[in-house]
Amino acid sequence: MNAAAPLLRLEQVEVVYQKVITAVHGVSLEVPAGQIVVLLGANGAGKTTTLRAVTGFLGSDDARVTDGKIWFEAHAIENCPPHTVAARGIALVPERRKVFETLTVLENLQAAVPSGIRGRAARRERIDQVFDQFPRLAPARGRLAGYLSGGERQMLAMGSALIGAPRLLLVDEMSLGLAPRIVEELLERLVALKKALGLTVLLVEQSAHLALEVADYGYIMESGRVVLDGTAERLRGHGDVQEFYLGMGGGPDRRSYRDVKQYRRSRRWFG
Amino acid sequence: MLIYRVSRVLNLAHGELMMLAAYILISLTTLLGSHPVGALAGAVALSLLVGLVLYVVLMRRMTGELVIAAVLVTIALGILLRGVMVLGWTGRTYHPMQQLGWENKAIALGGGMTASTVALATVGMAVLLYCGLFAFFQFTQWGVRMRAVGENPLLASQRGIALHATYALAWALATLTGGLAGILIALDSGLDTTMAVVGLKAFPAALVGGLGSLRGAVVGSMIVAAAEVLAIHYIDPLVSDVVPFVVLIVMLLIRPWGLFGTEEEIERV
Repeated sequence: MNAAAPLLRLEQVEVVYQKVITAVHGVSLEVPAGQIVVLLGANGAGKTTTLRAVTGFLGSDDARVTDGKIWFEAHAIENCPPHTVAARGIALVPERRKVFETLTVLENLQAAVPSGIRGRAARRERIDQVFDQFPRLAPARGRLAGYLSGGERQMLAMGSALIGAPRLLLVDEMSLGLAPRIVEELLERLVALKKALGLTVLLVEQSAHLALEVADYGYIMESGRVVLDGTAERLRGHGDVQEFYLGMGGGPDRRSYRDVKQYRRSRRWFG
Repeated sequence: MLIYRVSRVLNLAHGELMMLAAYILISLTTLLGSHPVGALAGAVALSLLVGLVLYVVLMRRMTGELVIAAVLVTIALGILLRGVMVLGWTGRTYHPMQQLGWENKAIALGGGMTASTVALATVGMAVLLYCGLFAFFQFTQWGVRMRAVGENPLLASQRGIALHATYALAWALATLTGGLAGILIALDSGLDTTMAVVGLKAFPAALVGGLGSLRGAVVGSMIVAAAEVLAIHYIDPLVSDVVPFVVLIVMLLIRPWGLFGTEEEIERV
């Protein structure tokens, strides 16, 4: 895999909902610094749960990381509360309810400026940076976020997440409900930010096509397990990925990933 | 209202907290008899502290629990406070205005109307507080954060906003403004254990206006107050305490979420 030390590392993470339902069975993955990693999978594959395990959002859903370790650099962060995780430099753009709808665009950004930044001028500078990164937001600064279009909302959510200058950005289902063109534009922005700020990104996606274009590395999840991983290039060329996630080759009788092959199970049973 | 807006918890001990501030004033006046202004400022500062302590000691544990449980805790708190106040300060009526050595002069307004100095001060203070709160929510960093927490606490905490600090601040602000109100009422019309009823009347006002809306609270209190005064004038002074709740019931039948509230908020109460 990658020689560089990973920024985020999940080791055999298991997540259990309400003490009974296991949603994630021993997932291991690595997000190296300065790269874009994509986590692919169909609905219910456990992608979002994995992301929530990282951000500490699980507690509110009566779920816990019951086994395994989540390392952010040298810190173990499994089952940490969300604001602790945020303070370490991990920002999440959630799938739904990603902006404060009763606040204006400007207020959304104001609320997200970290408390460590003192002084009106310093705060304004941070906010102006976001308007530079997402020029479309600038003319809408006085509008309520609830009235924004899906694309603008996504930009605002990403801007609010970036305003705290995170080291790792987690984006859940960015493409959901957005026109492919906008998704493309947003992904380009991400690549530009990755280059400019050295940002590390973990994308969670259902639609593999665009995500694999920009990603460096990819993991594919099925039923709470990582079934396949590799460089984005390798995944794009992989026959099964083409068939099941890129929509190429599969006929009307498209099968699920599971029906085809018994993929490499999680490594937990073998140590 | 403030607490509800930020944490969705209806504080049913608000009247008792108002009363507590007024009783604190009584004690401080006896202690610092020579410095009436100091006693006033001390009482106001202490009421802010009471809010902070209450949140940290009591309500903090309720975050993340069911909202209804937290509301029940505030009811228990109200009963407890009332009991403690009767024990501590006895049930007799105090007149803090006299203790402070001030006179509550009647000031003639045009057209044969009169109002007491304190009543005018109360109105002035209400306007000032309203403008202050509005500016706070609109323009300050913490105000905007509070609104963010009120809308979506999970997202707010993910954005790095410390929830407990925000809730504690909301409690402190609420007891501060409530305390001010309690002190002013006590100065105007004396203080005994029935004052909590005034706090109760705040709920019809807030509900008529729509919970969680600052504008609604003002309009709602105007409507309730107008109805009350009209009832005193045209019907019978004895019914005045009932009127706010009659207005409330009518309002709940017509437009249960209040004038400025939103429909979705109603399920939460």
